[in-house]
Amino acid sequence: MRRRLSLSPWLSLAPALALVVVLVGASLAYGVAQSLGLMAVIGQNTVSLDAYRSLLSGHGPAGREFWSALGFSLWVSVTATIVSAALALLLAVGLASRPGGGAADTLALNWNLAVPHLVWAVALLLFLAQSGLLARLAAAGGLIELPAEFPVLVRDRYGLGLILHYVSKETPFLALIVLAMLRSQPTGYAQVAANLGANRWQRLRYVTLPFVMPGLLAGALLVFAFVFSAYEVPAVLGVGYPRMLSVLALRFFTDPDLRARADGMAVSLILTAIVLAVAAASLKRGGAK
Amino acid sequence: MTRLSQIGRWALYLLLAAPLALFAVYAFSTRWFFPQLLPAEWTSATLARVLGDGRVISALRDSVAMAGGVSLLAMVIGYPAARVLGLRQFRGRNAAWLVLFLPTVVPPLAVGMGLNILFLQLGLAGTLAGVMLAHLVPALPYVVFTLAGAFARYDENYEFQALVLGASPARTFWSVSLRLLAPSLVVAGLFAFLISWSQYLLTLLIGSGRIITLPVLLFSAAAGGNPATTAALALIFLAPPLVIIAATARQLNQRPGDIREQL
Amino acid sequence: MTNVNLIALTKTYPGQPHAVLQDFSLAVAAGELVTLLGASGSGKSTLLKLIAGLEQPDAGDIQFDGASIRPLPPHRRGAVFMFQKSYLFPFLNVGDNIGFGLKVQGASAHHIRGEVARVLHLIGLPGSERRQPGQLSGGEQQRVALARALVTNPKLLLLDEPLSSLDTEVRLNLQAAIRAIQRELGITTVLVTHDLGEAMAMSDRLALLSHGRIVALDRPEVLFHRPPSQAAAQFMGVSTFLTGRQSAGCLETPHGRLQVACAAAQAGAATYAIRPEHIRLQKAAGENALAGCVLDCVFRGEYVEYQVAVADLDVRVRMPMPAPRYERGAQVYVRLPAEHLFAVA
Repeated sequence: MRRRLSLSPWLSLAPALALVVVLVGASLAYGVAQSLGLMAVIGQNTVSLDAYRSLLSGHGPAGREFWSALGFSLWVSVTATIVSAALALLLAVGLASRPGGGAADTLALNWNLAVPHLVWAVALLLFLAQSGLLARLAAAGGLIELPAEFPVLVRDRYGLGLILHYVSKETPFLALIVLAMLRSQPTGYAQVAANLGANRWQRLRYVTLPFVMPGLLAGALLVFAFVFSAYEVPAVLGVGYPRMLSVLALRFFTDPDLRARADGMAVSLILTAIVLAVAAASLKRGGAK
Repeated sequence: MTRLSQIGRWALYLLLAAPLALFAVYAFSTRWFFPQLLPAEWTSATLARVLGDGRVISALRDSVAMAGGVSLLAMVIGYPAARVLGLRQFRGRNAAWLVLFLPTVVPPLAVGMGLNILFLQLGLAGTLAGVMLAHLVPALPYVVFTLAGAFARYDENYEFQALVLGASPARTFWSVSLRLLAPSLVVAGLFAFLISWSQYLLTLLIGSGRIITLPVLLFSAAAGGNPATTAALALIFLAPPLVIIAATARQLNQRPGDIREQL
Repeated sequence: MTNVNLIALTKTYPGQPHAVLQDFSLAVAAGELVTLLGASGSGKSTLLKLIAGLEQPDAGDIQFDGASIRPLPPHRRGAVFMFQKSYLFPFLNVGDNIGFGLKVQGASAHHIRGEVARVLHLIGLPGSERRQPGQLSGGEQQRVALARALVTNPKLLLLDEPLSSLDTEVRLNLQAAIRAIQRELGITTVLVTHDLGEAMAMSDRLALLSHGRIVALDRPEVLFHRPPSQAAAQFMGVSTFLTGRQSAGCLETPHGRLQVACAAAQAGAATYAIRPEHIRLQKAAGENALAGCVLDCVFRGEYVEYQVAVADLDVRVRMPMPAPRYERGAQVYVRLPAEHLFAVA
């Protein structure tokens, strides 16, 4: 009887664990193998670090772009993360100060979460393109005459479109997290601070911020990992150069030249390694669940 | 802060309503060029054409079928796992959490590329089953963690009461457990549906061009450049998320912390 | 009317060094209400769960009417449960909650309606079928939980501190109500509580539990007036024990010589005890009076409680109102009337 009790948790977990271990584990294993040049389909059975070497040294078709893609990805994801975290904090504090639960606010934030990234990106395209709605408003206001005069906000070389997209999508996500923490916090602390003479900004900085920081940080790291490795939106809103790492990886992974595939896979694994390192560092810091 | 928060709130609502309005305007027009602020002529022809397109219909059908299947599978596999994670203490529990948490951090790009190779060998590439398995990777952890949270708040004594009153374990499950967990089950199932519904990259990589879902169509339309068609497709694509959020609004309001970023 | 036999039950939880129940045996007669009284962790709740089948013993047997029920799963034993919380199903109204047990047995809707109405009458909430559990007070919820348990005509009623979360007034009313219903229906009942007053008010027999073992088992009045051991006496609120040599109605203790009315079986070493409400404080010396000093005085409404130091002994005294008031530090005499001193070992 007692033995059955200690076996059965694993029995219940088995299907879920098996699925994850097999699918994620096998996919990563196959990926690593391919990146090391082990491709049975073209008869290569020897391990070779050529793919990684060409990437890191900047040579070869994929290697030429690797470092600029890495830099670009970091630029977009770090900027988007920091800006959305800051905006989310302000938004959440602003919304939380409204009495009465704010069901409409939460609904609005959840709605934003439910809109798929692809759709949001398309909307941004229609809105911010040089012939898009914003440009037309500018024309109506007499600011410009031709589409070409409107600044390039999406599909631009600086990743502005991407950053705008991710900031507008991730700010509500982080705001929801902060809002949940704020709503569970007794308001006493802020009141005590106000009593002691702290003004609104001081209250924010010395009372609210430390309280929500752990949750906000955890959310921000999730956002960073997501943006850094995302493919769909950069594929829609990005340009030919510079490219995000994920776009670069896929481009070479689907190259008809089988040898180029190893390069593509290597890029994606380097990307994975960076994301996992960041996640591991944040788990150690935050002490997981 | 009140003036600022008012501005912030209206900016938020504007931000969210704008895309919908934009899509609607584009979808109900055929010609809407710079610098017109509103279409020269309104028509429902675009929407009708898109809805009547055979490819769109089959993509819609495939998307719905797969998302429904993924949701069901994720719930069936995830329920027992979530139950023991939420209710029981046992050695290795943290390890199990970690393993099930992995798919939320490992980039879908790497998983998709690796699965592409694996499924080619297994003959699953380009099949509905293969794509659904791939969709399970992001969907399953979401379901497990949402339900585990519900189980952590769950009191087994309700089930004990049902048992001693004469209900068999099966009867107890259907009549008591499921009904007590209903709100969380609904949220988990609907969001698993949404996760599968929104997948593009995994469908692309595993589907090998043979499985066409709505996001695949939308992507090529957006790259192609006919804004009216793109907008119409976007509206169709948006319909289930809209409905699902409206349906689960109350539950989500009570537990906003459960939301995950996978869409 | 079912009798219950618990035979040498042993249970240890994994990861715990000590067994929560060790060789536990108890026979409950048909229609009897036996109470298990003990502190938290004494194994009382575990015992109820074993009887109900919600947990399995490591060793021992459980018999209903002489037949072992160990192979039966909980939904086939006929032992119903009441917890501290009512656990009324929130998605059913009162009527459907009560009818749940009958519904899973396949009874007809007509029969269920009749039975639900009958039992609602029994618990004093007639006509409440349509109310929602959330609308009921704590006491009403427990009544409905009781009704839900009773309507299935169970063999055994198991009560796990069902009243401990209720207000005093409600609790006292419910104690009387449950006792009356139990007597009327003649249902064999095992009650678990840590409240001595509740245990004495409701039981036919009372079992005192400590660390998974029975310390004493008897009728409440017997345990109250003549507890069989020092441990049992402590359960019943006795804190004054005097050890010495007894011979011919006299107890020689380090504190002095005391007359005792009931002599122990043989002369020799003996321990006597006395209930706190039988001890008296007085200003003058006298028979069976020990000199002491008042440490504390607490007014408790119906009585005044004194803490008096007699040499190295701390004596607790309860004197009914009107009681003489002594200041802290006052020198008094503690009188232990001979007729109230009894032997405990």
